[in-house]
Amino acid sequence: MHSLFWKIFITFWLSLILFAAASIVAVSFYLEHTHAQQDRETPRNAFRTHLESARTIAELEGREGLVKWLQKLDRSEAIPYLLIDKSGNEILDRKISSHQAMRLKRHLQQPDSSKRKQSWWHRGEVKLPDGTQYRLVPDFQGATLGRALSRPRVIAIPVLVAAVISGLVCFLLVRYLTTPVLRLSEAVRQFSDGDLGMRVRPSMGRRKDEIAELANDFDRMAERLQELIRSHKQLLNDVSHELRSPLARLQVALGLARQSASREDNPELDRIEREAERLNEMIGQLLSLARLDSGAVPTNLVTVDLETILAEVVDNADYEASALNRHVRVSKSSPVSVEADEGLLRSALENVVRNAVHYTSEGTSVDITLSSMEKRQNWIEIRVTDHGLGVPDEMLSGLFEPFMRVDDARDRESGGYGLGLAIAKRAINKHGGEIFATNTSHGGLMVSILLPVTQAT
Amino acid sequence: MDTILLADDDIELCEMLKQYLETEGFQVGMAHNGKDSLQQALSGKFDLMVLDVMMPQLNGLDVLRKLRKNSLLPVLMLTARSEDVDSIIGLEVGADDYLPKPCNPRVLVARIRALLRRAQSHKQNENAVDEPETLTVDDLVIHTGSRDVFLDGSPVAMTSTEYSVLKVLLRAAGHVVSKSDLSEQALGRALSRYDRSIDMHVSNLRRKLGPDTKGEERIKTVRGIGYQYTYH
Repeated sequence: MHSLFWKIFITFWLSLILFAAASIVAVSFYLEHTHAQQDRETPRNAFRTHLESARTIAELEGREGLVKWLQKLDRSEAIPYLLIDKSGNEILDRKISSHQAMRLKRHLQQPDSSKRKQSWWHRGEVKLPDGTQYRLVPDFQGATLGRALSRPRVIAIPVLVAAVISGLVCFLLVRYLTTPVLRLSEAVRQFSDGDLGMRVRPSMGRRKDEIAELANDFDRMAERLQELIRSHKQLLNDVSHELRSPLARLQVALGLARQSASREDNPELDRIEREAERLNEMIGQLLSLARLDSGAVPTNLVTVDLETILAEVVDNADYEASALNRHVRVSKSSPVSVEADEGLLRSALENVVRNAVHYTSEGTSVDITLSSMEKRQNWIEIRVTDHGLGVPDEMLSGLFEPFMRVDDARDRESGGYGLGLAIAKRAINKHGGEIFATNTSHGGLMVSILLPVTQAT
Repeated sequence: MDTILLADDDIELCEMLKQYLETEGFQVGMAHNGKDSLQQALSGKFDLMVLDVMMPQLNGLDVLRKLRKNSLLPVLMLTARSEDVDSIIGLEVGADDYLPKPCNPRVLVARIRALLRRAQSHKQNENAVDEPETLTVDDLVIHTGSRDVFLDGSPVAMTSTEYSVLKVLLRAAGHVVSKSDLSEQALGRALSRYDRSIDMHVSNLRRKLGPDTKGEERIKTVRGIGYQYTYH
């Protein structure tokens, strides 16, 4: 069950043991090596050999040669050898233990004792050509674990091996643990970006641990969510479709009523007709939205002349708007081609422009610019600016949600359906573009559409 | 009296439409599935068919595709609103016009009348009123009397709408014809907003006629204005 728990536990445990064991082995090997050396030649013999070398070197190379020789000796010998002058200073500036210092003092106080001749102190005399005297003293107490550990060459290789092996083990473990977690988080991101078909279990192979279980749970959740969203959208789509048939009949019935009506002008029938038309419009928008939400990617991509489409959309909108004493004009344009589904792109532009016409104040105009972006290469920006009241800042991002209403009273009066911008956003997103709204300094709303272009000519 | 075939699977709607159209002075036949529609359309009893795209068995587009192999009967397609794809495919397959359903019956009647006028002007008016003429532009020849179109000597089959659009463009060959003029003269109705039928008919014509002798597009798009038939 808790296989991940045990995997982590055992791996850490083993690598710690491994490291500790490697260190112990290395140190004991070193110490044993030292002992073996001492078995082969007695300390006395070793001391004699070293003393002879020291004397020869002192004679031939002086103090400097002596320093070099001692440094080299120190690296290979387990027991430290000290060279001490009369005032108690060591030639390599190493610390002299209090025990040694005491012996030195005693030696200097009784210069002619017979015991003196037996001691290391007496025998270890090394003279430089200038007459300075040193004494070579083996420091048996200095052969400690600390000294062994501070000898890099002795300890380095086993420690390095242990570090590499445990590092490798840890690396593999961490990768084994984090790779599926990353995959999972990638899946969650894709899922929240709208790829509801995303599943992670297949990418986990034959894993059977907590992460695999988490992946299973995620997949179950995704499955359920996908089903819910699908049925929700299906319902919306079906309802909209089904509403059409009675609406079609309603319109024909209305026509029949008009035929049999005695008078030409009949305000009630006009009203019914207007409302039926409005209903029709709304159902159409709902269906477009449902289709865009279904996740289908535009398939009939063609090279579209954006400038022309924009001009056509603006012409149509201006024609409509002129009846309401409003205008639509393109104040800046440039020839641009984009790879797009023409119908989808056109409907996105229409919705944004129509929305702007809706909210711009009477007697003002909607300004539209089409230009290439400075900040991003090969992107164009379309700005649709109205001269209306704008939108409270906190509502700006919500404008692109279906049935978003900014101000109930005003919306009802202006008759906004709240679907146009939602459709536009989905259509633009399908083309890899972005759409957002900002308030302008003069109080109107500016909707910016950013689109990647194929070639800017 | 003109006879119209209503092809729609909504029987109630058909009944009401029939009543409406009869009051407007048409004779109406009905078909409620694709197979039946195709059979009746091919019977030669009708002057025009109103065809719903969504039908059981054989859908409207398939009916139209099969019909166009043998007949140039004027067809007005009813498409689901906002399904632009349907209307574009419909015009591509050879519908003369389309109308999104649910639609106002008054608009439907106006469209039917426009289509019939166009079709009839080919049958009678050309002979009676206008002198039949032969328009020749480069390798393209059309006889307005017989409605025949010849490309490099071989005949090209066209729906009456395509023919009308081509005729208007050829008469003004070398000049730009605005989309609204084209709509009024060829389709017999004012260009409505967001209407793409002219564009679709032109693209059908381009496909049927192919490039001109110099390998260029015969019908040029003049951006923001309309179309122009070019000649050398």
